[in-house]
Amino acid sequence: MEGTVRERVMVRLERCVGCRSCEMACRVAHSRSGILRDAVCEEPRPLRRIFVEQAADSPAPFLCRHCEDAPCVRCCPTGALAFDEESRLVVYGVERCIGCHACVMACPFGVIQPGRGDGYVVKCDRCVGREEPACVEACPTKALVLESRFLSERRRRTAIQFVQAARGGPRVEDMLASGSP
Amino acid sequence: MSTAIPVRTVCPYCAVGCHLDLLVENGRVKGLEYAVDSPVNAGRLCAKGHAALEILYHPDRLQHPIQRSPSGWKPVSWDHALETAAEKIRNIVTAYGPNALAFLSTAKGTNEENYLVQKLARVVGTHNVDHCARLCHASTLTGLGPMLGLGAATNPLSDLSQSHCLFFVGSNPAENHPVAFRWVQEAKDRGARILVADPRRTPTAWIADLHLPLRPGTDLALLAAMLHVIFQERLQDDAFIARRTRGVEALRASVKHTDPTWAARLTGVPARDIVRAARMYATAPRASLIYCMGVTQHVVGTETVRACADLALVTGHVGSLGSGLFPVRGQDNVQGACDMGALSGLLPGYRPVTDREARAFFESAWGLPPGALGAAPGLTVTEMEQAAGRTVRGLIAIGENPVVTSPESRKTRESLQRLDFLVVVDLFMTETAELAHLVLPAAAWAEKSGSRTNTDRRVQWSPKAVDPPGEARPDWKIVIDLAHRLGLGQFFPYGSPEDVLEEIRRIVPAYGGISAGRLSQAAEGIAWPCPDETHPGTPVLYENHFATEDGLARLYPIEFREPPEMPDADFPYCLTTGRVSLHYNSGAMTRRSPSLFSRSPHLFVEIHPDDAAREGLRHRDRVRLITRRGSIEAQAHVTGSVCPGVLFAPFHFPQTNAITQNMLDPSAKIPEFKTAACRLEKMEGKGP
Repeated sequence: MEGTVRERVMVRLERCVGCRSCEMACRVAHSRSGILRDAVCEEPRPLRRIFVEQAADSPAPFLCRHCEDAPCVRCCPTGALAFDEESRLVVYGVERCIGCHACVMACPFGVIQPGRGDGYVVKCDRCVGREEPACVEACPTKALVLESRFLSERRRRTAIQFVQAARGGPRVEDMLASGSP
Repeated sequence: MSTAIPVRTVCPYCAVGCHLDLLVENGRVKGLEYAVDSPVNAGRLCAKGHAALEILYHPDRLQHPIQRSPSGWKPVSWDHALETAAEKIRNIVTAYGPNALAFLSTAKGTNEENYLVQKLARVVGTHNVDHCARLCHASTLTGLGPMLGLGAATNPLSDLSQSHCLFFVGSNPAENHPVAFRWVQEAKDRGARILVADPRRTPTAWIADLHLPLRPGTDLALLAAMLHVIFQERLQDDAFIARRTRGVEALRASVKHTDPTWAARLTGVPARDIVRAARMYATAPRASLIYCMGVTQHVVGTETVRACADLALVTGHVGSLGSGLFPVRGQDNVQGACDMGALSGLLPGYRPVTDREARAFFESAWGLPPGALGAAPGLTVTEMEQAAGRTVRGLIAIGENPVVTSPESRKTRESLQRLDFLVVVDLFMTETAELAHLVLPAAAWAEKSGSRTNTDRRVQWSPKAVDPPGEARPDWKIVIDLAHRLGLGQFFPYGSPEDVLEEIRRIVPAYGGISAGRLSQAAEGIAWPCPDETHPGTPVLYENHFATEDGLARLYPIEFREPPEMPDADFPYCLTTGRVSLHYNSGAMTRRSPSLFSRSPHLFVEIHPDDAAREGLRHRDRVRLITRRGSIEAQAHVTGSVCPGVLFAPFHFPQTNAITQNMLDPSAKIPEFKTAACRLEKMEGKGP
């Protein structure tokens, strides 16, 4: 999959129930062993790249948005963070990182965090080597989905509504106005 | 659509001189924009630069002059404050003479402000004016001055990307000048070799091809051994030595016996690595030597600086693109403060006070009677503190925090408390301000205009973006007002920083062509020397001749001495101090900056895992550090990045300098911050 556009993860806030499965899956995916049973005993403890915050009375998962004109990329003194045109992701090259934590300060979403016990930083890498990121795989309510899947699902549902309208159901305009798809 | 206007200012932190575009709306800074088109930082910014706005609108900013009274601090009017200061100063001068006064100028002020402070001191009649360069690069001035002619970096930092070999000695730009480190990475990308001599495996050393983990205080032995190898293997640049230098025979003789085996015993670095380092540095077509506090903050600081310059000179690595000697400065305007003569022994433009002609020149330029300027240098920062309450009765400290930054701070605090009059001008109620009789609120970088000189010798104009909070005033205005109240108004006929810069241009030849108008147009500033309006500036020094009388560089022989306090049975560890990426100097700004402080809230001490095991310490345990001067508490960080036997503590916290050594380099008067024999005691509980 390397070298092609990597789909970004979409967050559907309204679906999140705050179960934190994504956080756990992310930790395990970024542990040395990659297995839950061993990951919980690892020292230093594996860090998550996704954060479920309780915001405005609702749980909300946050992870790197892989911005096109990302503040972290703009300010990184050494180019350790860069926007990869092929994968369309903000990629982090640890070998160039000097641990200045400029990105930690710059990220408007607060999803870049200092590493533990070293000066490096930790951020979402969209699970290298996995077709579907661990958080998406783990989300039981589909609050986290890949963009194309979200869009195809939306297309499918809208099509269903059009078909139903054509068969004499409620008018499509009314359905769209009520925001139901 | 936002109506915010971007104002390009120069970052108030380190000496890289990055541009910060402040978004100003209705007289307030609303945000920060990356200066993507800046030739200095190209939009790059480190963590401290990001947090700069937190200082501007910090709730603890001083807003009114305050005076100590029996019932505590009492707000007073500017009129009253300045009149009190002037009266006290007049009384001290009448009773004890002008040399009972001392002025601490500031590397955080503009060139104009530093010029005014030293002029005020000298017009009052004393050379007792100094600033914190004394604690960082004083040995660069005393070391490089006689050798090359000027105590400044020879090339701009961007030149590092053109080098084939970069040799860092006691320098950690990855943490302290992160934005400049991109040029190091660029050099590395092009295949340059990176050498790092540091007792710690710093982030700079992460990318090193060869890391030389030497014992603190033995840099001189390492450099002497490298010179030995270079001479023995005939790697020196004979043509350059013959054409451009003098004194090679004495140098060669002095390093005859300093072979790598000898140095390996002293430094702890394997002899073969010393040989490899010498070969890599000497044989590179273009090489840069970058040194910082690890070299300068020793009693042998001057000698070590000279050894660095010797190394660069005998290999011909000075005076061309990508080949240079880089004493990287720590503060945004420490270079400028030195240029402006805010030093006890040097008048503006590095004219020594001992030089009769120089004194005569300044007497006539300033309209002083002949003989008004003393022939003896004044007191340095550390000497002022020692003399405080004895021969020095009054101290005017502007933007300096000696209680935190000076060695053996308990003594500093005691002597400052003995003063008849201490006035502190600062942004915040610092540890030093707590001891003052009068505290005056100052304006921060974005609240005043002026020129500042970064470590490249690049002079940049930083315009005023917003008004200071409350009644705070810029330092230049405070100094001018004070001078007028002292009846010295005739010497200070300035209405703005631009007026002061005009006088600087007339008096300091290197700044001759640097006008405010030109600076505000020059996107990347102008590098001094720039003698006239048409001169483009001089980014690279010494291309054809050195700034000495005959144009030749002097090579100095090397004589190794051990640090004054070696670890022994009672104090088995060597404590060294330094910086971390999220804090800055005395921490007066960064410890108040919530986003920085929350990420680095503790004084910690780095301990090698072997030492930690011997002491029964675990990561994050509380420990007590004890030296002959006192003890402090810190959190233990067990890490393999320090050598066994070495402890490292950052000096941004008030505790650290309580236990450092107050031994001075005899010529530079810089304290031995980097070594102190130390012992550890485990404390109960976790923390702090």
